[in-house]
Amino acid sequence: MLVAGRMFALGMLIAICVLIIVCMELAKKNLPTFRKIAGLDALPEMIGRAAEMGKPVHYTTGLGELNTNMASQLVAGLSVLSYVSEICAKLGVRVIYTVYQSQVMPIATELMKEAYTRAGKADEFDADDQVRYMSGEQFAYASAVQGVAERERPAANIMIGPFYAESMLFAETFYRIGSIQLAGTARGYQIPFFAVVCDYLLIAEEIYAAGAYVSKDAVLTGSIRGQDVGKFIALILMLVGVILTLAGSNALINVMKL
Amino acid sequence: MKKSVPIALVFITAVIFLLEYFVLPIELKSTVTMLQNWGIILTAFTLGFGAVNMFVFHGKQVSRRAKGQWPYSLWLLIILVLFTLVGVIMGATSTQYSWLYNSSYFALSATVYSSLGFYMTSGIYRALRAKNAESALLLIVGVIVLARNAPALAAQFPILVNMDSWLSSVPTTSAQRGIMIGAALGAIALGLRTMIGRETGFLGQTTEGEKGG
Repeated sequence: MLVAGRMFALGMLIAICVLIIVCMELAKKNLPTFRKIAGLDALPEMIGRAAEMGKPVHYTTGLGELNTNMASQLVAGLSVLSYVSEICAKLGVRVIYTVYQSQVMPIATELMKEAYTRAGKADEFDADDQVRYMSGEQFAYASAVQGVAERERPAANIMIGPFYAESMLFAETFYRIGSIQLAGTARGYQIPFFAVVCDYLLIAEEIYAAGAYVSKDAVLTGSIRGQDVGKFIALILMLVGVILTLAGSNALINVMKL
Repeated sequence: MKKSVPIALVFITAVIFLLEYFVLPIELKSTVTMLQNWGIILTAFTLGFGAVNMFVFHGKQVSRRAKGQWPYSLWLLIILVLFTLVGVIMGATSTQYSWLYNSSYFALSATVYSSLGFYMTSGIYRALRAKNAESALLLIVGVIVLARNAPALAAQFPILVNMDSWLSSVPTTSAQRGIMIGAALGAIALGLRTMIGRETGFLGQTTEGEKGG
């Protein structure tokens, strides 16, 4: 028995999931090409700059929590953290991950430890120093991160996850100390703040694609093509909706309300 | 095994939550509530990890007399112990604990939030410069919105209200909706990759042998 008012959403969810799986399977035979994401391509350069300057890299996933609807953004941020940690380990750069939710700590610690192991530098990873729990309160966390910025002067600041009012506090503080910055969030209200202050920006869906993009895995990149096909479907639905509404029909609206 | 068990748990949990949302809501309600309670218990438990991490890190800073850091670390540890003692002895809902929280964190939090105005001003000062066509457009739109929100200017030039209203409801809303649709599709793709065990970045990268397929 399906819940009334959610049938269309379920149908669309299943259709998009099938499309994504098909695209992932097709990608095994024919690797899709997609546009460059400047922010993600710049990561090795950002970390290289930190290596030259002998300064650390700061990483935050914002106010990401595993048990809220922001979990997907947190997972996206953690995927990039793994990649960043590996490059940092290879280049001998200390990466500092400041933690907002304590639940994330064991995951991040394990993930970074593995990244250092892959780089052959497992012994250089200092969990107590590099994975720092700050606070579970928004502005206490914001102040603590600002403190890290002012005292340790990271050469690069990477922020991927859900951000709220602290976005500008972070971006401006790191700008003032001369950090090169990459920011990415799917929270629409914070995107303009990051856009005006940060050097590189990942807009919404780009953060979800980031893990697949940096992995260069054929199957994962196939899922990005699936997302694009989903966008075409949304576009077609919008056009059909506009035409039907102009023609005085509520047919599509009624179908969506099923 | 190290990765397959967490992936299986993620898959089962995600399927339960999806079924609860779309299908048979009553029968799965108790399972979902139980899972949510487990989440709360886990969160409370992991707070211990956080506290230990803070004690270890800041304890080291104090013992090493880390330049520019140790006085702050010492102060943090004192406050951490003070809050813990008052919370444990008097209770987290006691007047004493509430007073401690409201007169320290509450006031400080409001202060940090208020300081955002200064950060935004300096950000806007740098952003609103007509360096190219895009930044010139941003400058024009920014000036219109700022002027509209200044009561005296809005009263003197009512057209600003209409311009701001159009900017908010047409270009801004359409751009936001585009971003929302893209983000939703991205979240579905990430969720699916996570559920089927292809997105393992958050568990650490898989080795070629573990990838399969």
